[in-house]
Parts: sequence; C-alpha cells; structure tokens
Amino acid sequence: MRRRSTPVLALKVALLGAYFVVMAFPIVWIVLTSIKPTPEIITFPVQYLPRHVTFDHYYRVWRSTNFPAYFKNSMIVSLASAVATTALALFGGYSLARFRFRGKQPTLVLFLITQMIPVVVIIVPLYMVFASLKLIDTLWSLVIVYTVLNIPFCTLLVRGFVDTIPSTLEEAAMVDGATRPQAIVRIILPVVLPGVVATYVFAFIGAWNELFFSVMFLNSEAVKTVPVGINTFIGKYNISWGMMTASAVIALIPSLVTFGIIQKYLIQGLTAGSVKA
Amino acid sequence: MRVKVASSYLSRRRKLLEPYLYLLPGICLLIVFMIYPIAKGVFTSFCHYKLNDPNTYFSGLHNYRVVLSEPEFRLVLSNSLWWVLGSITFQFTLGLILAVLLNRPFWGRGLYQAVVLAPWAVPGFLIGLIWKWLFNGQYGVINDLLLRLRLIEKPISFLAMPSTALQSVIVANIWYGIPFFAIMILAALQSIPTEIYDAADVDGAGPITKFFRITLPYIRPTILVTILLRVIWILNYADIIYVMTKGGPLNSSDTLASYIIHKAYTVLDFGQASALGVIFMLILLAYTVTYLTLTKFSRAGEL
Repeated sequence: MRRRSTPVLALKVALLGAYFVVMAFPIVWIVLTSIKPTPEIITFPVQYLPRHVTFDHYYRVWRSTNFPAYFKNSMIVSLASAVATTALALFGGYSLARFRFRGKQPTLVLFLITQMIPVVVIIVPLYMVFASLKLIDTLWSLVIVYTVLNIPFCTLLVRGFVDTIPSTLEEAAMVDGATRPQAIVRIILPVVLPGVVATYVFAFIGAWNELFFSVMFLNSEAVKTVPVGINTFIGKYNISWGMMTASAVIALIPSLVTFGIIQKYLIQGLTAGSVKA
Repeated sequence: MRVKVASSYLSRRRKLLEPYLYLLPGICLLIVFMIYPIAKGVFTSFCHYKLNDPNTYFSGLHNYRVVLSEPEFRLVLSNSLWWVLGSITFQFTLGLILAVLLNRPFWGRGLYQAVVLAPWAVPGFLIGLIWKWLFNGQYGVINDLLLRLRLIEKPISFLAMPSTALQSVIVANIWYGIPFFAIMILAALQSIPTEIYDAADVDGAGPITKFFRITLPYIRPTILVTILLRVIWILNYADIIYVMTKGGPLNSSDTLASYIIHKAYTVLDFGQASALGVIFMLILLAYTVTYLTLTKFSRAGEL
C-alpha cells in the first residue's frame, strides 16, 4: 500500500471538485433556464435557482413548433446511418484484422486520409453530386453522408476489437460447416459485442451531432433535422431563450443517454484498441 | 479427380477475393461520396460557379486570385491559428490532468467520470447554443459571475465585439475538448502494465519520477497521434463558431472552415468556396508532413 500525504490528497479533491463544477455547470444551467418562467430568465443580476418551476417552455416547443418532426427526422437519419455504418464496419474491420492481402496498406492509408479531409471542403461538391442524384432536401442524402463519414474510423475500431480475439474461434465453427459470414455473425459478433456497441454508439452520436450537411442539404420543414431546426430557432425573434434551452435539453437526451450507457465500454474499448494502435 | 481440382481452384479464387468482398461496400461508398467529390471540388475551384448565376465556365486561377487578395483571408488565417493553438493547448493540458486524476479508483468514480466526460457526447450545435446563452451580454451568467467577483464593472457583450468574440468561441471549444483528451489519455494510461510501476516502487522511484520516466514515455505515441489528428479536427470544426457568432462581428471570429461555409452558404459562390477548400487542404497537408517530420513519428500510418 502506497502512503499518500494529506496535501496531495487535498489538492486531488480540490481539482476533482473544480473539474466537476466547470464541466457540469453549463449543462445544468440550460436545464435550470428551461424550467424557469420567462421573467426569471430575462433578469439581471441573474436569478440562479428558479422561484417557480414551469414546464411551459417544453410544452410550447412540443406543441407550437415543428420540433417533434425535427426530432423524428434526426432519429431516422441517425439510426439508419448508425446501423449501416456498424454493419459495414463489422465486415470491413474483420477483413482488415484477419486477412493479409494485396492492397491492405493502401486501404489503411485511404482510411487515414479521409479522416483528415475537411468536411467543409466536400460540402460544396457533395451538394452538386446529390443535386444530380435528386437527393437534395431528402433524408437519404444525410444517411449516406453520415455513413460515409463514419466508415473509416468505425472500421478501424472494429479491427482493433477483432484483433483481440483468437482466430481459432471462428475457424472451429467453419470446420463444423459454417460459412465465414455465418461465423462472423454467430461467433465473432457476440464476442466483440461491447466493441460493436461502442462502434454503433459512436456512429449514432456522430450522425446526431452533425450540423453543416443538414443545414446545407435540407430546406423543407418536413425533412429538417434537430440541428437545422434549432438553428432556425436562433434566427427567429419570437422564440425565447426558455424555448431554445428547452429544445436544447430535449436534443441532449439521446446523446447523454447513449453516452451514459457506453462510457464504461468506451474506455475499455479504446484501451483494447490502443494496444494495437 | 478433375472436378475436385476445379472446385478447389474455385474455392481458392473465392478465398483470394474474400478480404476484398468484405471491404468493398465501404470502399465504394468512400470513393463515390468522398474521393470523387474531392476531385470535383478541385475542378470547381478553377471554374466560375455561382449558385445564383446560370453561367458556369472555366476561369483558370481567377477564384484563387480573388480569395487570396481579399483582406479577410489574412484575418481568417490568423484567427484559425489562434483558434487551434488556444484550443489544443488548454484541451490537452486540462485533459491530461483529468485523465491522471481519473486513473486511480476512488469512491464514486464511475458516476463522476460519466458527468465530467459527458460534454464529449454533446452535439456541437448545442455547445454553441449553451455558450451563446452563458456569454449573453444582457442576461448571461458569465457576466453575472464576473461582476460578482468584481473583475468587470459592467456587462460585456462578449459575442458582439470583435475584440472578445474569438476568445469566447475558443473558451467554449476548450470546454468541449477536455473530455476527448481525458478519454484518449485515460485509455492509454490504463493500458500501461502495473508491473512496471511495481518494479519502479521496488527501485524507490517517487511519483514525479514515475510520471516522467514511465507514464509519459508510455503514452507518448497516443499523445502524438491524438494531437496530430485533433489539430486537424479542430481546424475543420466550425459548428460552435457558426452557432455562436456566425464568424462575426466583421469576420473577427471566422476561421478558414467557417469562412468557407460562409462563402458557400451565404455568398453562394461555389467556385471561391472550392478554391478556399483546396488552399485549406494544402495547408493541412503541409502541417501533417511537418508534424510527422518534427516528431519523427512515421508509425502514425499504423493507426
């Protein structure tokens, strides 16, 4: 057992406390703002704790704006692209982990390069591509873009996980007559499930969080996603900070819930992956 | 006999193709929706191409001459430099300290970790919205706190003044990036075998010696790759800026990335936006080569 002197411990506790306050406060603050009546929001000096708690802003966001539709569209896009990304990453990552083949190194380099391409650089040409495919102003354009953007990193992530399990596992299944795709789905997938879940969540959060493609590609109210919707809110004068923070809190829920579930896996997963990296 | 040879030949061919088949869908998508658009973007940068003008024609280096001669370009470049330097320095330092704090178990660590790392998962447009509200010039809580601490005498419109807009978006970005570095470094710290520390204990090494002699060298590869990729990521990242200030006032918080969005989305000049994009990629390429040479870290390709 290692002895710890009191000043070191005190410093550690103080630092942990400071990080806690600084990291948690902004999020706590929008939650607090969203449950205050408007007069308590627009007052200075600031009214820190609400005198009256109200859910009026939430009610109005949900009832008098298109926010429910934005939310549904975001869900569709994020779920669809996360499923597609994870499926493609599972097989691609497996291939990179298990096989030695000509073109493997160029593939890895291609993946690495795509990670460095500025999103703002491909927005304009992609707009032209989707315009010629008649996919501008549809959710399809976003599903495709988010899948493409997440494939390289997610494939490398899965490769890291598959590397950690012995290949004898699926070889045994294949001796028993299973084809390789069957072996991947039935044997590999359950073993690397925590990693695959982390990959899925990574792809989901990536899609849920993206702003510029949705702003650039979507125009009609019917297809707008949450980021575009909230961005239009900011420009409208009749939308108050109460409603804006309420919609922000709703938009935060999917990200924070998924993060809460996987954050333990995340560090384990990255630890397993980083040994390889 | 012959049938058997043929079938084994077929199965061998299938085996040879197998690794490609699994990767093919992903790579095809990348080529059609990433590589091809980049080529198209490079081509467009040499064209007169405006969304509000039906005439599109080849214009040589005209777009490049225009964007490079605009006074905004130099401002945007220096803003980008401050944006990336300010963000990465504090994100890394504060993230490293947090990772070290989280590395050893303590009571309630699981919950604590979930809370302090949560901003990692928060969408950038919400980070922008949250900090726009915190920095609000009329009712903002940051003004209130600074007044209470007697650091300022009257509220400041942080986002509406050219002198403070860039600093404000950098502060928001630092807050956003701390969890990312903490997560990456923590993962690296936890992959260090504990036997090394036990051996160091036997040799009588103190905590500071251990940190600089064991911990840092061990996580150095992770740190170098993370910083390399993160600098590029921060340069490319404009969500927070777009929501908080739209690059204003007077381009004072515009970085190269948000400026390109402005050219494409507001000015609707796809040609100039593409020219800026090509310049941007060249800058990133120069940065990557320099970084890899300086750190002599040729293994980055193995990530």
